[in-house]
Amino acid sequence: MHELLVGAAGAFGGTIGLACLLNAPRRTLLPSSLIGVLGYVLYLLLSLAAGQSMIFSYFLSTVVIAVICEIAARVMRTPTTIFLLSALVPLVPGYSFYRAMLALVEDQGAAAAASGLQAVQIVGAIAVGAAVTTVVFRALGMRWGEQHAARGR
Amino acid sequence: MTQAEQSCALDALCSAAQLMLENGAETYRVEETARRMATGFCLTGVSVAALPTLIFVEAEGKTRILRISRRGTNMTRIERTNDISRRVERGEMTAQEAGCALRQIAAAPGAPQRTMLLAYAVTSASFSLLFGGGPGAFAVAFLIGLAVQAVQPLFARVEMGVLLGNFAGGFITAVLAQALAARLPYGDVNAVIAGGIMPLLSGLLMTTAMRDTMYGDLISGVTRAVEALLLAVAVALGVYVGLTAVSMMGGVLL
Repeated sequence: MHELLVGAAGAFGGTIGLACLLNAPRRTLLPSSLIGVLGYVLYLLLSLAAGQSMIFSYFLSTVVIAVICEIAARVMRTPTTIFLLSALVPLVPGYSFYRAMLALVEDQGAAAAASGLQAVQIVGAIAVGAAVTTVVFRALGMRWGEQHAARGR
Repeated sequence: MTQAEQSCALDALCSAAQLMLENGAETYRVEETARRMATGFCLTGVSVAALPTLIFVEAEGKTRILRISRRGTNMTRIERTNDISRRVERGEMTAQEAGCALRQIAAAPGAPQRTMLLAYAVTSASFSLLFGGGPGAFAVAFLIGLAVQAVQPLFARVEMGVLLGNFAGGFITAVLAQALAARLPYGDVNAVIAGGIMPLLSGLLMTTAMRDTMYGDLISGVTRAVEALLLAVAVALGVYVGLTAVSMMGGVLL
């Protein structure tokens, strides 16, 4: 429970800070950080439940975040990227990335390769998760896009 | 429509596309914005193509080619340009009004440096918390975040500035975190460094690259993915050099 709360607080601060760094419009700051928190908490719960299959947890939470971002973008009539870029940030494998560098400095090739590979896998899972959602929403959008063309994306 | 009006409309359309591309919009969105505005201005024979560094626009037998040299991420500009293109499409704006509004968007400054300082510091401190650092790590990561963002303007106007900025960010984070840990044991050094580099690694999400690829803009997709990897490598190199420097000279300097 404690870990969840600290993780949620960290994800909230990190997402809102990054959204500011990317000059996100002020009205999108709070929604995107809430989506970020939700996604990260979901990831934590999934990784607790799924145990070994870390990549799957990343993939599934990315899909959920991306779906909420697409919906939020349509509701607030603004480009999806604005939400997506900041809300996904808590999932970026900064720690694995750093551990790989640390192992390289300490001359532990095997540990560096393991951490590096983990980072690459996570980046891949996030990229595929976001891409799948984009494709699905694009296909759906084609159908009712006609009558909603004047509304925001 | 007279020749002058067509020119004016084409200019507005080009500056909208340029604003979108310069501030980090996906390639399909850049092209869509230009096409939408062409519809609103009733231009015919329109064809638009965008790459991360170039825009080609043709309409009414006139051709414009724009070279994009400065690129960054500014979501507010993307949103406002998007909004204007929609209003042009609905016929609520003339070419002159749109041109004027777009010039205003381009001239509007981004967030001031003190906001950026606070944003960077909050981001790195929060992520150090997320990576299991305690209150001590949170405070140290906050201070390091301030230091890293403070040097970023130095690289803004330099050639290859973003790469150098990322390298410097990784380097400063690694050196400061370890130097401070040697003086006062504040807690988890690893959490501080990993949290400190998170804002620089956000490009690793590659969402824009993936979306470009999925929409069939293969060249843009691949280019942006390579760019994201290059930026991450710059951070990695900075951290590596910083860690090495401290472990080699730590005993002498600290």
